[in-house]
Amino acid sequence: MDLNFSKEDLEFRDEVRAFLDNEYPNHIREKMHNGEELTRDEVVEWHKCVAKKGWMGHSWPVEHGGTGWDATKIYLYLRELALEGCPTFVPFGLQMVAPVIWTFGSEEQKKKFLPRILNFDDWWCQGYSEPGSGSDLASLKCKAELDGDEYVINGQKTWTTLGQFADWIFVLVRTDDSGIKQTGITFILVDMKTPGIEVKPIITLDGDHEVNEIWFDNVRVPKENVVGEVNQGWTYAKFLLTHERSSIAGAPQMRRAINRLAKKAETTFHGDKPLSEDSTFNSKVAQFHLDLDALEMTELRGLAAQREGRSPGAESSLLKIKGTDLQQRLTSLAVEIAGHDAMPYGGPYGFSDIEVAAAKDAQLTAPKYLNFRKVTIYGGSNEIQKNIIAKAILGL
Amino acid sequence: MNLSYTDEQNLLRDSVSKFCLSDYTFETRMKSVESEKGHNEEHWKLFAELGWLAIPFAEEHGGLDGNDVDLSLMFEEFGKAIVVEPYLANVVLGGGILKRSDLEDKAKYIEGIISGESQISLANYEPTKGFNLGNVDCEISSDGTVNGLKTTVLNAQNANYFVVFGKHDKGHAFALVSREAEGLGCTSYKTYDGFVSGDIKFENCKAEAVFSAENALEILEETILDGLVCISSEAVGAMEKCYQLTIEYTKQREQFGQPLSKFQALQHRMVDMFMEAEFTKSFLLKVLATHETDEKRKLIYGLKNQVALAGKLVAEEAVQMHGGMGCTEEMSIGHYLKRMMVIVHLFGNDTYYLNKYIES
Repeated sequence: MDLNFSKEDLEFRDEVRAFLDNEYPNHIREKMHNGEELTRDEVVEWHKCVAKKGWMGHSWPVEHGGTGWDATKIYLYLRELALEGCPTFVPFGLQMVAPVIWTFGSEEQKKKFLPRILNFDDWWCQGYSEPGSGSDLASLKCKAELDGDEYVINGQKTWTTLGQFADWIFVLVRTDDSGIKQTGITFILVDMKTPGIEVKPIITLDGDHEVNEIWFDNVRVPKENVVGEVNQGWTYAKFLLTHERSSIAGAPQMRRAINRLAKKAETTFHGDKPLSEDSTFNSKVAQFHLDLDALEMTELRGLAAQREGRSPGAESSLLKIKGTDLQQRLTSLAVEIAGHDAMPYGGPYGFSDIEVAAAKDAQLTAPKYLNFRKVTIYGGSNEIQKNIIAKAILGL
Repeated sequence: MNLSYTDEQNLLRDSVSKFCLSDYTFETRMKSVESEKGHNEEHWKLFAELGWLAIPFAEEHGGLDGNDVDLSLMFEEFGKAIVVEPYLANVVLGGGILKRSDLEDKAKYIEGIISGESQISLANYEPTKGFNLGNVDCEISSDGTVNGLKTTVLNAQNANYFVVFGKHDKGHAFALVSREAEGLGCTSYKTYDGFVSGDIKFENCKAEAVFSAENALEILEETILDGLVCISSEAVGAMEKCYQLTIEYTKQREQFGQPLSKFQALQHRMVDMFMEAEFTKSFLLKVLATHETDEKRKLIYGLKNQVALAGKLVAEEAVQMHGGMGCTEEMSIGHYLKRMMVIVHLFGNDTYYLNKYIES
């Protein structure tokens, strides 16, 4: 066992750095650095830039256009992107629906959707939760009935992240309610331009419009858009969720962020000396680094297992719980460092109309803290993840 | 030993509580937040009529000679409804400085606060200067000229007067500056809890008076101690409401065929919230029942540390158990979290006050 990288790994890392130096668009880099909101076009531009390099499929099998990298390379790649402060990839196509399509989809679906996902030609979103079906997802009611060659969908989905930008949505619908709730669910792909779909914004505590309600009113979808078998969607849904969870932890981004905060503490005075010389504050930072070390190794173990062909299982729940806990602690620490300067609120991306005395990065800490309350709730709440660990790992 | 409230105090609590329950629904609160002033002027008039604005002032200035117990029980009730009217800014902070000061005609200004006709904000904190009260660059010259930049001045946009804390020949002093003074620039904004606040820039502003040059820092410290007791009491009220709202929500939200409140894992967490709220309340009462100055000061530092840790935990748990809905603007619970987070950091956070507790 050795944590040192080989010469080849280091060369690969330099290749990633060179790519970022040369091709990462400067205007996006600047906006990300300042915590500004990216437009839809800029998000697409970033993904296209990576796609052009052929690096979008870092976690995909080679046969579908994946890079075929081993765990170390994937780790180094994602770490370099995070250290550079690149936007995270929109995961709904790339990391969520794509594995479902290549594992359970038809040949036609693979041909039609996978290349477009890999090239970010389509922006995907997720139609899972409903107002009455959150943690108890399998109780979902959004209905699809076969009428000729088409399914007709009626009902409501909620918490759909960035649904306002999406071209396609994957939806869990109820096609049979005669048996237990887990049977009778079907996984279907829907073009967002289909008549009868309405996207309604939900404003979250930070004031941002990130999530949406999606309403379906007699939305007609060709039956060949069903993935796998009708009524077997719950199996695919769970398969997708383990992929969602393993992509949530985000250790490299946090390493970058905690280092930036520690730097900030050197020039922050709450009392008579800089915060970086305050032992009470430093013990919080040290504890964070230690927990992050453990999270990072857990992530690496998961990646190694994936490369050996084992799909991420219940272990992804561990990453989700610990990763999101750390993410929230990080946002709290940022508010703490900002002190009173965190109080002025000019919206989720700061003031655009007036100049305030508090530094921009300080103003953004509170909206970020508020926004990140969601991370222990989405992707299956952390309470549900503990149930999964209890049942699937501990056998309780 | 006596841990009971007086009859007058119980009456005061009843009247504040009645107002918060009947006139202060979440919807009316949000309307006030979104209004131009950021609070409801009718409510402010009512506070004046009911005598609430007179509580902590001396009888000779038209006040009711109330004490910190009176203020505390009011703020506890305010916390339950997250009241946005600028009581803290005007009565506790602005008025708190004036009543302790040697300003000659202070009675005139205090009467203005009591009648609700005048609003006076304390301007002491400066950007990047942290929580240490003496750490200011703002300068007040002997001829009454004020230069400097103040930030997060509570209720700035509604104030007719600012009580400015700054450096002075003899150390520190206060300056009373009219909003209309030449050279005064006010940038108003909301803080993320929905309250109004602002930055005030003073460029060769002429003060109407310079006062308390002998003991300005001492007065400021005493006033902030009052402020700490008030926001800690507010936090105690808000914590109580947080666990109550969570109990109500989990009783009606069904998943897996039963109310969430039936899951033992969640029950234990609600019990933890309750216990944190009770412990914080006990600590608050210890502060209120302590009268020796140095001991009380030290306990207030400890109280703020307790409020910052327990308040944050309780409000975060409340949002978590409300699930996705708890993260939306639409539900009240998230607004309790926002106010709680401001309270956690206002005047200094847990780390700051733990250090002060250890050092004192």
